[in-house]
Amino acid sequence: MIKPKVAFCWEASCGGCEEAVLDLNEDILKVIEAVDIVFWPIALDFKYADIENMNDNEIDVSFISGAIRLNEQEETVRLLRKKSKLIIAFGSCAHLGGIPALANFWDRESILKKVYREAPSVINPEGKEPQVKTKTASGELELPEFYDTVKALNQVIDVDYYLPGCPPSPDLIMQTITAILENNLPPKGSVIGPAKTLCENCSRKDSKPDIMTLKEIKRPHEVIIDPEKCFLAQGLICLGPATRSGCGERCIKANMPCRGCFGPTDNVIDQGSKFLSALASIVDFNDEEEIKKVVDSVADMTGTFYRFTLASSLIKRKRRLK
Amino acid sequence: MERIGVFICECGPNIKEALNVEEIAKYASSLAHVAFVKSHTLLCAEAGKALLKKEIIERNLSRVVIAACSPKEHESTFMKIAEEAGLNPYLVQIANIREHCAWVISDKVIATEKAKVIIRTAVSRVLLHQPIVNKEIDCTPDALVVGAGVAGIEAALVLAQKGRKVYLVEKSPNIGGRVVRYEDVFPKFECATCMLDPKLDEILHKNNIHVFTYSVVDEVLGYFGNFIIKIKKKARSVSTETCLGCGACFEACPVNVKNRYNENLNERKAIYIPFVGALPNVAVIDRKNCLHFRNKATENTEEKKCEICKANCPFGAINFDDQDEIIEIKVGSVVLATGFDSFIANKIPRSGYGKFENIYTGLEFERILSSTGPTGGEVILKNGESPKSAAIIHCVGSRSKKFHNYCSGVCCTYSLTFAHIIKKKSPNTEVFNFYSDFSLAGKGYHELYDKALEDGVNLIRTAGPDAVEVNEDAGSLVVKYKDAAGKESKLAVDMVILSTAIEPSEDATSISQLFDITLGSDGFFTEEHDKLAPVSTTTGGIFIAGCCQGPKDIQSSVAQGAAAAGKILSCLVPGEKLKLEATIAEIDEKLCSGCKICIGLCPYKAIYFDKEKKVAAINDILCKGCGICSAACPSGAVKARHFTSCEITAEIKEIMK
Repeated sequence: MIKPKVAFCWEASCGGCEEAVLDLNEDILKVIEAVDIVFWPIALDFKYADIENMNDNEIDVSFISGAIRLNEQEETVRLLRKKSKLIIAFGSCAHLGGIPALANFWDRESILKKVYREAPSVINPEGKEPQVKTKTASGELELPEFYDTVKALNQVIDVDYYLPGCPPSPDLIMQTITAILENNLPPKGSVIGPAKTLCENCSRKDSKPDIMTLKEIKRPHEVIIDPEKCFLAQGLICLGPATRSGCGERCIKANMPCRGCFGPTDNVIDQGSKFLSALASIVDFNDEEEIKKVVDSVADMTGTFYRFTLASSLIKRKRRLK
Repeated sequence: MERIGVFICECGPNIKEALNVEEIAKYASSLAHVAFVKSHTLLCAEAGKALLKKEIIERNLSRVVIAACSPKEHESTFMKIAEEAGLNPYLVQIANIREHCAWVISDKVIATEKAKVIIRTAVSRVLLHQPIVNKEIDCTPDALVVGAGVAGIEAALVLAQKGRKVYLVEKSPNIGGRVVRYEDVFPKFECATCMLDPKLDEILHKNNIHVFTYSVVDEVLGYFGNFIIKIKKKARSVSTETCLGCGACFEACPVNVKNRYNENLNERKAIYIPFVGALPNVAVIDRKNCLHFRNKATENTEEKKCEICKANCPFGAINFDDQDEIIEIKVGSVVLATGFDSFIANKIPRSGYGKFENIYTGLEFERILSSTGPTGGEVILKNGESPKSAAIIHCVGSRSKKFHNYCSGVCCTYSLTFAHIIKKKSPNTEVFNFYSDFSLAGKGYHELYDKALEDGVNLIRTAGPDAVEVNEDAGSLVVKYKDAAGKESKLAVDMVILSTAIEPSEDATSISQLFDITLGSDGFFTEEHDKLAPVSTTTGGIFIAGCCQGPKDIQSSVAQGAAAAGKILSCLVPGEKLKLEATIAEIDEKLCSGCKICIGLCPYKAIYFDKEKKVAAINDILCKGCGICSAACPSGAVKARHFTSCEITAEIKEIMK
């Protein structure tokens, strides 16, 4: 029997998704037994050239984690697309842009300026910034180009399936791999995971009051969080109502509100604005000043509501001021 | 395979001259799924409509785009034609190329380009339309009216038509509300009691009006078309069938109590008829004060036997064993006409009310003027003498940041009416009206001002509603005021009348909760729309009339009563089903996670939480399709029919292309 060829690759990401594969624990042995891993930079010593030398569509599945922020990453994923039958966007960053895409609230110039010149820990009197090409005595050095905008994977290449989460839960990973091996995949373009949002499985669901209202918004470090009660009902921002379930409610079980890493449901285009709309609807004041007070108490509203989805949202990035 | 027909209306010269219809028609033909394009001089005319119907049938069209005027104008016309042609009416989309294009763009080339975009957008949207079927439900045409004042009475009389029962519930022992207790009402000084009497008789004798006096609504279940209501009929202790109102009982009763129906200005007995002429003319026992019941409660054995009234009743009408009764009725709609209360004047200490004698509120003075009131209609002081002078102070509690911000609307008119009547009854009394502004809009109202001048009433303009103060000095009342020029003056008078504001009745909050309607910040019931839907509420089937909606005069209250009844007559017809709104919201159970965000948002109270399935659900009968829940739903589980995200996104994409 010929084993299916599988590639794992990470782009702009923290590496957590790769860890998640290892979190399959003993199940990883089943995977390894069932597939032939042809590329996995974090664990195995394959080179780009090994992929380049393969035939088109020779790889059965490529799992790609991370967003696209450098031209090197773009080249890699284009190459994998060419060589793979299926591309799976693995984890929040590949799926929606993820945390790296929060950089879209700035642009290349301001990021490089901040990091290489203004950060308090930096001493750079000559104001040097990294360049794509640098001439040195021993020849020209080349660095990948740093893009102005971070993109989700499907904004660069065609993606067949999405495996959500920061990182995806081991259950979902196993479910996906099994579906691939059994040739039992949903229609192309599907996000693999349940249709409903997190409240469905939340252990605190029954603690919700009949009518949800909010008079003040608190941050987790400001209060002692009731471990039984709905976070939103406690005045804590919990993106659960606007976030696809399937994560295993790991944050909720650790007494932390949902941050939204699984992204929106199939019926929602923009998770951040949908959550904002829901939250705004339940603010229980009619007086403009009072409403403003509640709204102003949300620290970093866009960062909080678009934490994982900025790149793939309707707003995508901060407008460039000319 | 979809076959879309695009019909372009030239709207006479309106569209034809502003853009190139031929070019647009050619463009429309090039769009995907468009099977047929036709322009016509006037699609809404008979010939146009006939053409539309014929082509839909003959060309076997599956969806239709009408490029014409605003959907506000003829969408329903064209939907009807589509239905006649066998097409679901919701498979029609209007492309507004008149108001949005022809009328607002002078350059023909630009207008033509924009019309193309509008049509292209409509085609992309109509492709996503889902057929929608109008639902109908069984309903009862019977109605409940709460409050038997002028507004409630009018509503009940208009509603009481063939095939329709009306239940009229009134908390007082008598009907007629506030107005029946007035003597001369503006602008023509007619006797209100005489004016109302025939109406009250009609109410009491009409076969299909069921009157429940001394009763309150206890529970409200159900929804528009099918309410189940429990009425609590309080024990009257006197049989309404046998009591003739002869008065033998209260002449004999040993207990005296202040009479609220005469604004506590005189006393009544523990068994009483509120005032002479009150209808129904049946006594009632006030159990809180009646010795028979009081002693029963305190186990006072000595006086326990007080049954004087029973002994004196020639008709055996007294029934001490009478019990509160709960009556369940089924109605399709409700008119709330629960009236108002008068501003409590001692909330303003400088008004002198409650501190000094001979100071009256507007409602108290109405009773003083009434021939059935405490003074038999004579304008006299506490000592029995007629006043040499009287001050009428306007705007007590109205137009004040501290009390009621609003103008009560009727005080200027009743204040001038009081002035006129005082002059008529007691010509030697000098009358002073302290006003800061006059609000006399209304038929025949401003004439009261001229009349006051003719009568020799002194109209003193003050610096504002707060610029008047009443004190006592050497046994006389003294009005201290700042006039419009800012000059402070004093005036000694014998009598002061405070034109107190109209305010929400004390039970407005509990009634609003019982019937699930909203209260405004001023405490009055909130209408569905302040201009366009003034007697309906956001709760289906609940209508409001009279002063429970806001301060108003008798004619406006009567007009609202009639309007509310008219609304009900036109929407709940005996023998017909209730047609429900088609473009309502629906919740996809497969997507709803039960986060409950939407539940409290619905202004129509149409959303509830299904405790078994743990998802939100919509009551089709109550939903009006406003879309609030759909916008708020964080999981995209609520779909606003005919305005789905897909349809709207498709439109936006086409426009931006």
